[in-house]
Amino acid sequence: MRSNAGFVFVLPALIVLFMLIAYPVAYTGVLSVTNEQGQFTGLQNFADVLRPRVTTQALWNTLWWVGGSIVFQVILGVAAAILLNQNFVGRAIVRSIALIPWVIPGIVAATTWAWMFHTEFGIINHMLTGVGALDEPIGWLTRGNTVLPAMIAINVWKLFPFVAIMVLAGLQSIPQELYEAARVDGASYWDEVRHIMLPQIRPVITAVTLLLVIWALNSITIIYAITKGGPANRTLITPIQIFRLAFENVEFNQAAALSVMFFGIVMIIVFIYIRALANQPGDNQ
Amino acid sequence: MKSLKIAGLLALSVLSSVATTTLARAGEVTWWAPNWGEERAKDLAKRFMAANPGITIKMEVTVSNGLPERVLTAMRSGAAPDIIEVQHGWVNGYAQGDLILTLDDVIQDKADFNKAALDYVTWNGKTWGIPYRIETHGVIYNKDHFREAGLDPDKPPKTWDELVAAAKAMTKAGRSGFGITGGGEVGNTIFRSLPFIWMNGGDILNADMTKAVVNSPEAVKAVEFYTGFYKQGLAPKSTLENDGLALRRLFVAGAVSAYQSGQFDLPAILKENPNLKLGAMMIPAPAGKQTAAILGGWSYVIPKSAKNPAEAKKFLQFLNTTEAQGFYTDTFPARISSTKLPRFDDPMLKPFAEMLPFGRPVPVHRNWVKMVQAYFDGIQRILLGDQTAQKAMDQANEEIQALLK
Repeated sequence: MRSNAGFVFVLPALIVLFMLIAYPVAYTGVLSVTNEQGQFTGLQNFADVLRPRVTTQALWNTLWWVGGSIVFQVILGVAAAILLNQNFVGRAIVRSIALIPWVIPGIVAATTWAWMFHTEFGIINHMLTGVGALDEPIGWLTRGNTVLPAMIAINVWKLFPFVAIMVLAGLQSIPQELYEAARVDGASYWDEVRHIMLPQIRPVITAVTLLLVIWALNSITIIYAITKGGPANRTLITPIQIFRLAFENVEFNQAAALSVMFFGIVMIIVFIYIRALANQPGDNQ
Repeated sequence: MKSLKIAGLLALSVLSSVATTTLARAGEVTWWAPNWGEERAKDLAKRFMAANPGITIKMEVTVSNGLPERVLTAMRSGAAPDIIEVQHGWVNGYAQGDLILTLDDVIQDKADFNKAALDYVTWNGKTWGIPYRIETHGVIYNKDHFREAGLDPDKPPKTWDELVAAAKAMTKAGRSGFGITGGGEVGNTIFRSLPFIWMNGGDILNADMTKAVVNSPEAVKAVEFYTGFYKQGLAPKSTLENDGLALRRLFVAGAVSAYQSGQFDLPAILKENPNLKLGAMMIPAPAGKQTAAILGGWSYVIPKSAKNPAEAKKFLQFLNTTEAQGFYTDTFPARISSTKLPRFDDPMLKPFAEMLPFGRPVPVHRNWVKMVQAYFDGIQRILLGDQTAQKAMDQANEEIQALLK
């Protein structure tokens, strides 16, 4: 009787969860193996979506995008956190200011950056040509070799404060005794960073990196708002390709097929990551 | 992850449209009208309601951003409004998807409509939408820049060679003679480059839509001509990130001397820079050939799931009188008799009006959006310097051919 009553109480939450998560996931699976009329077509959608070479290109772009973003976000975030952990005048203000990129809505940031990078009106070219660093403006978003790095730079700018804040919280939980013990042994500041701070915050970095990977893998806003995947698909990542298929080409079934495959790849990456990093035996410094 | 979002969005939009339609009452016609015509639409609705006391017109204002997705979701969810204003090019897809009603019993004086516009909304021998607004591009130019380059602003270029010569003469000191688009929404570049292919006798698909022909010599030459403005430095360096709006900004700022656009840009330019001496010309064609343009514009459709189709049809007949069409359109009306109204007498509009008979519909194919994406990617590869025009169009042709199956 009691267990039944409990079930009744969680039922509304379960129904909501089911409607919002389980049903759409299952329905996407169904969509991926049927045609527009709802007839079963086997793996036809998968074959159709894999055939164009843009799919492969998008996958490579996605790997560069995710890899580039994560590496710089983590390095910059950790460095910023160590810096913000120091004692200096105005630390509270600097800490708040550092958070700004993360607080700004993605679409606002993207649009602003698009204008800053613009070849003719952009402030970046204006400043670089003004001080004589460049002879003539560079088309940051229109050159094949600068556009994806520019997107990665924006993504790094947007999310490294998040890493910094999480890591900072981790740093502050390190007991003071560890530093004192190290100093008694004659450790330099660099030794403290290497042998105390980094090992202590490793669990934080692991968790944050996993979040960053997931966010980078399904992020659309920055790239879509600035280049829509162009020029010539140089910044087309798989999530944008899925969005295009579904909402610009109205190919829901092919979009579902690509989603299913992408979902599989993401699950594999996340799984490997958790196995390789998170489950390592406890730190022994 | 994406799949969740897609399904979630669908679920949300279904819920929201269910919520709106439960409010629909008998004798009430819900009309989705775009925001740029809001004031005039209100006026028309008021006049109609005064003459027809039994019918209420309930207006819902739409915006162009994301409109195709919104319309499609509303129609597919089976809970659409009674009248929707959509672009001509979308109508056929709705007809083939069995989402709208035929309007053969509604359209009056069919012979009085622009032929290309009617072609757009005809499928299977039936009329599925009523065109009320049509427009094509022309070329807008800065008369002072013509004068400074020693050209006669009252005798604008008529041929491709003359256009290139004029662009060369005007390109100097950080100023670009002729702006083209190579970025932004795909449609911007299709509207500006496809007409050149047509003028030169080429096309993207052959007439019965069985074969991609965008790598034919005629088409490649036109693509070379279009991208050449950038390659020769006659178009701005930012071409690959410029859409129509960016070109207009550069034109207003005096950084571009001429560019292709519709007459809807004229008031916007003068608002930002009232001192600019504006000129407009028909789009130059290869010597000895006729000009061409994509016919764009808007039509009314009645979704199959409309709650009050009979009243909606009555209102549509009112909206499509000569007088109402001439009053409502932002550009030109689709009815020939409406173009005689004094409103369209402006000499600035003359080149645009003269372009109308050369306006053509774009092909109606379910994969058209993907095809123009493949073509657009090819244009961008040329602009990036990845490929020659021939190589880029060969690849685009192959991709478009694959989409014809």
